Amino acid sequence: MSLLRAAVELEVIEEQNPDAKGTEQAYEGRTPWRLAWGRLKKDRVAMVSLGFIVLLFLVAIFAPLLTALIGHGPNTQYTTSGLSLSGIPVAPGHNGFLLGTDDQGRDVLSRIIYGSRISLEVGVGATAVALVLGLVMGLVSGYYGGWIDSILARFMDILLSFPILLFAIAIVARFGPSLDLLIFVIAMFSWPYIGRLVRGQVIALREREFVEAARALGSSDLRIMFIEIAPNLIALAVIYATLLIPINIVTEATLSFLGLGVLPPTASWGNMIAEAQTGDLFTVAWWFLVFPCVALVLTTLAFNLLGDGLRDALDPRHGRSNITPTKRVKRSARSSGREKDNSEGKRA
Amino acid sequence: MSTSTQGDLAVDATDAQVLLEVDDVVKHFPVRSGALIDRTHAQVRAVDGVSFSLKVGETLGLVGESGCGKSTLARLITALHPVTSGHVRFRGQDITALNRRQMRPIRKSVQMVFQDPYGSLNPRRRVGSILSDPFSVHEKMSRAEVKRQVQELMARVGLSPEHFNRFPSEFSGGQRQRIGIARALALRPDLIVCDEPVSALDVSIQAQIINLLEDLQDEFMLTYVFIAHDLSVVRHVSDRIAVMYLGKLVETGPVEEIYSNSRHPYTASLLSAVPVADQAFRTARRERVILTGDVPSPVNPPSGCRFHPRCPKAQAICATEEPPLEHKTGDPIGHLTACHFPVNPGETLANASRDAVPAPEAAVGATEGVDQ
Amino acid sequence: MALLDVRDLRVSFDTDDGTVYAVQGMSFSVEPGQTLGIVGESGSGKSVSTQAIMGLAPGATVTGEALLEGADLLTMSEDELRHIRGRTVSLIFQDPLTSLHPLYRVGAQIAEVMETHAQMNRKAALERAVELLGLVGIPEPKKRVRDYPHQFSGGMRQRVMIAMALALEPKLIIADEPTTALDVTVQAQILELLGRMRKDFQTAVILITHDLGIVADVADDVVIMYGGRPMERADVRAAFIEPHHPYTQGLLQSIPSYSGRMGRLLPIKGYPPSLMRQIQACPFAPRCPQAHDECLVAPPPLKPVGTSPGHLSACVLPSDAVGLPAHDAQATPAEAAVGGVEP
Ligand SMILES: Nc1ncnc2c1ncn2[C@@H]1O[C@H](COP(=O)(O)OP(=O)(O)OP(=O)(O)O)[C@@H](O)[C@H]1O
Ligand SMILES: Nc1ncnc2c1ncn2[C@@H]1O[C@H](COP(=O)(O)OP(=O)(O)OP(=O)(O)O)[C@@H](O)[C@H]1O
Ligand code: SF4
Ligand SMILES: [Mg+2]
Ligand SMILES: [Mg+2]
Repeated sequence: MSLLRAAVELEVIEEQNPDAKGTEQAYEGRTPWRLAWGRLKKDRVAMVSLGFIVLLFLVAIFAPLLTALIGHGPNTQYTTSGLSLSGIPVAPGHNGFLLGTDDQGRDVLSRIIYGSRISLEVGVGATAVALVLGLVMGLVSGYYGGWIDSILARFMDILLSFPILLFAIAIVARFGPSLDLLIFVIAMFSWPYIGRLVRGQVIALREREFVEAARALGSSDLRIMFIEIAPNLIALAVIYATLLIPINIVTEATLSFLGLGVLPPTASWGNMIAEAQTGDLFTVAWWFLVFPCVALVLTTLAFNLLGDGLRDALDPRHGRSNITPTKRVKRSARSSGREKDNSEGKRA
Repeated sequence: MSTSTQGDLAVDATDAQVLLEVDDVVKHFPVRSGALIDRTHAQVRAVDGVSFSLKVGETLGLVGESGCGKSTLARLITALHPVTSGHVRFRGQDITALNRRQMRPIRKSVQMVFQDPYGSLNPRRRVGSILSDPFSVHEKMSRAEVKRQVQELMARVGLSPEHFNRFPSEFSGGQRQRIGIARALALRPDLIVCDEPVSALDVSIQAQIINLLEDLQDEFMLTYVFIAHDLSVVRHVSDRIAVMYLGKLVETGPVEEIYSNSRHPYTASLLSAVPVADQAFRTARRERVILTGDVPSPVNPPSGCRFHPRCPKAQAICATEEPPLEHKTGDPIGHLTACHFPVNPGETLANASRDAVPAPEAAVGATEGVDQ
Repeated sequence: MALLDVRDLRVSFDTDDGTVYAVQGMSFSVEPGQTLGIVGESGSGKSVSTQAIMGLAPGATVTGEALLEGADLLTMSEDELRHIRGRTVSLIFQDPLTSLHPLYRVGAQIAEVMETHAQMNRKAALERAVELLGLVGIPEPKKRVRDYPHQFSGGMRQRVMIAMALALEPKLIIADEPTTALDVTVQAQILELLGRMRKDFQTAVILITHDLGIVADVADDVVIMYGGRPMERADVRAAFIEPHHPYTQGLLQSIPSYSGRMGRLLPIKGYPPSLMRQIQACPFAPRCPQAHDECLVAPPPLKPVGTSPGHLSACVLPSDAVGLPAHDAQATPAEAAVGGVEP
């Protein structure tokens, strides 16, 4: 076989195998998700955060097992081993209390472990509800535009400018505190964050040619919204959900701190912090105030860092320089009218 | 639009050969502003009274500068935008009056290929799924049957059917344009509107796509409306040409007629402005007419003939009276021109006289202010 | 002596996916007052080679020589380069909107160039800005210097860029697709303007484009690029009438003929080469209808071909084998079908 034939065949093989192909397309090569995962894997900070979050979930899921291993229940008051004779909490590392005890002689570590359940349940639960609501409302608002959009957009603005604490106090005063209510209240006030972002994206996506192509085929509105547009929102939704979770965890802690969320003796990081600083015992026994705070801060930080990492990975335009094939669209959309529409969409 | 045009263009709707009739269509977009309450201040007169008709198997090339309303006209024909006024008839049926359900069979017959091979395919969906859309929307078919159809389509447009599961980003520009063509072809349409299908492609890939479109036309008896700004491409593919300027047709006729005997000063200068590779050396250099200024804004188009502020032949009447699109004496049938002073064969435009019109530069400056 | 003489320029980028060898041995030269067209497909390295010369390709590894009036641009410090970019060489880019600062008045932006590089005072610089705007055909320049870029149309912005490029009367203008975003009629205005400037100021111009028509129209000489290398260099007439390199021939045959319908187009089969490796052969060989084993041994060097002086081609075919093959002979349906179907 001649050298030439061999070379040509090599080219052909490369054509058929996208990963081996080195032309422009290969930079984008693989599927969007695998590509994003590849980028995320290289982000050390994000991967450490992800590891921490996975660990946290495991801890929350296996909380009963873990506390059984430790040998201290979260709500048991160890009045003899857990408190000194003068009633001072036991310091970390003594009497088998790894993180010490609190003013009532309860194991801080066990309480933090159980607290993580509340934090994740509320953080993830409220965010999930907010995500679904935000996606649907944002889609409808952005896609239909007109008066539907005006009403929904104003509604979101109002919710976002509402003082959530006052509202929560009012609701709790009426219905009494409960975990479900907490999730509901937090979700009600966090979905507009997602809704607004989604709406902006949808307004931009609605004008894209692939949506027009779907309309030219006679696709229904529902089909366009959920099959054409929604898949393009997932990246954004994932990023902002990750960033919303820590906000909601902190909101839970705040409400619990104020006595509006999870009620003692059930452990939540918020009410642990609240209880710890009611007296001035923490000036001597710092640990039962500091450790719940540390848990809260680390968790919040991990979610935020992961969110940033995800943003870079899923939306590489904002991240490091990345090669995308040069696309040349001559004389397209230079029209004043359309530019204006788009910029309005972005601002919104 | 003056009535005389309709006389010229009116086609007997019973003529079985006529596939598409565009009758005095107008599309105005409101220009909105205001933060809280949208207020309409002005209208973009994107398409302002366009009429033509198209026979089965014919290719109409639509040319004109950016913003003259070509894409808008394409979207009116494919019913992606509602018309402001006028009628679009497909096989004699007025599609501007149809509701969604009545439109469904028409959607199968009228399809569109888009300019941007990157923007017209959903980046988050696999090619197989994109191409199965036409079948899932319109036909009741089993999954296996859909897949078979899709792979057949892919093979027909020169894509490897095994690439069914790839994302659009894994294809090159030319391949993506093939996917767009396959999607338009799926339901065996009668009319395909191609909105600048090759403008974003490299020359060598451009040639592949043009060949493909021509083959498909022969195979399926397709009728094309072919929009492009590359006049060589348009000449290569079209049977007839329609030249647009600021929302209006200024000249239309058989392709050779337009290229060899253009009567409208705009057409003449447009043709002369295109740098042409092969002609520069093979034939004598054409006399070049450099127009001054840019296309004025369609929000506030010039009075009378819309071309008059840039026209080398304009006279006083051009600024006041709109010339109808009509047949000029001496031209073959079907060659229509909208001009008071059509270019005569052999006439040089470069030093045509201009009197009694505002200086072109002042006019351009004024209209551009409005543009912003 | 050539104004700019580029020899064996190589540019590569290290990326996440490996090294991209964007330019793999580019050579060309420009004489004073000459217009050199550089054409080639998207991704062939047209922009990168000129950017690398002018120190505008961040992150690139650049080797070779680029002698501007005898001084090697590639060994200069950033300060020296900046000085040259202002005074001796001006650049015009494709997108006139992004090259102008949206928040400064057009006049001020032109004036600033002269203030920093020519130590003119503000007033004189502004006066000169008005003059330049008039020169490039902006109506009422006195009034329009006070406008912001968004108040100008695309064609006018590009003219502002040209005015800015001319402000310091450079010896060389590098225009990277200056009219791609513009309409044909406006493009004609810009090209005419560039031509006039060249006549009036004896400025050399490097015109990068993918439009063979533009090159045929305004360039004196043309370099046809492929896979990061020059394939052919000739005066435009020879390039269009007596092309030697099969790639040049392929390009010419794939554009629709303006002078009439001529049957099927003849696209070049296959795809551009990968730039992820250094190509140790003629980069066009896999797509070339006339490739020999010899083409795969090493990249063929540029050699004189044809009859016109300065006509060079990087192809092993006999030097006298110039001119397009007969059009119809090749257009057999079978072959054309192969061209239309991808592997
Ligand atoms: N949805 C819209 N809303 C408002 N104005 C619009 C809209 N679509 C188009 N226009 C305006 O209508 C005019 C015609 O636009 P159109 O896209 O039809 O031009 P075109 O001839 O296709 O131009 P190009 O060659 O740039 O694609 C332009 O001035 C444009 O700004
Ligand atoms: N910063 C960069 N990092 C990595 N690769 C790059 C970079 N800039 C350019 N390239 C690659 O170098 C090659 C040549 O690019 P270049 O921009 O010179 O092409 P071109 O000939 O100007 O094409 P076009 O006609 O599309 O402008 C391309 O494959 C491109 O992807
Ligand atoms: S009508 Fe008048 S202004 Fe219009 S194109 Fe004809 S001559 Fe020119
Ligand atoms: Mg358009
Ligand atoms: Mg470039």
